[in-house]
Amino acid sequence: MASADKTINTDVPEKDVFAIHFLQSLSNLRIQNLFNSPDTTNYRVRKIKKAAYVSMARAAGGTSRLWSRALLRRAAKGNNKIVRFPRRKRKVTWKISSKRRRSDQRAPVVEDAAERLRNLVPGGGGMETSKLMEETAHYIKCLSMQVKVMQCLVDGLSPK
Amino acid sequence: MSSRRSSRSRQSGSSRISDDQISDLVSKLQHLIPELRRRRSDKVSASKVLQETCNYIRNLHREVDDLSDRLSELLASTDDNSAEAAIIRSLLNY
Repeated sequence: MASADKTINTDVPEKDVFAIHFLQSLSNLRIQNLFNSPDTTNYRVRKIKKAAYVSMARAAGGTSRLWSRALLRRAAKGNNKIVRFPRRKRKVTWKISSKRRRSDQRAPVVEDAAERLRNLVPGGGGMETSKLMEETAHYIKCLSMQVKVMQCLVDGLSPK
Repeated sequence: MSSRRSSRSRQSGSSRISDDQISDLVSKLQHLIPELRRRRSDKVSASKVLQETCNYIRNLHREVDDLSDRLSELLASTDDNSAEAAIIRSLLNY
């Protein structure tokens, strides 16, 4: 367990992986006839936004990252679907109250900033500060990839 | 959970994240944030990095919102065939 901390890997897949997953989600939405109905704009936007986050989580490795697992779990709750997550041999992250987090030993000003970050990163509530920062780095990279893919699509679809 | 915690402290600190790794993570984050990348000096404090990270994440969320909005409009107004062609063209030209 100690050896895993030596090299913290925050690599993300290529942009194409994010693009493929997002396009799959979009074509599913099209099959549901989402793009033809005229008076469902907000619903449509919300569905597209959800598709963006879910496809990003899948592209990023699905359940192998804490933030993507939390994101997928949150999305599945909204669908009222029962999603089975594979049993992991690693320990499950408990929601640890701030009193018992070991990271309390770090400088309090760092911990305050970390608290705010915990609210932004999916699944951040149960993470220790060091794990939180690792997940944040990965999350940021994936978010920027997703934004690039979406920007490409918008540019391509916009009338010249 | 208490047994896990006590067993962890029984190990001779081998599972503790060292402060070096923390500062390594902080510098990795600093690298990712465009605001802070320009100031290549190491003088940026950890809390400042975390603060800017929060702002950056909020900006990215906002961009996703905005792009979802525009995509929604565009996809509803384009017919399927030209949409497919445009999408494939734009992603191939990356």
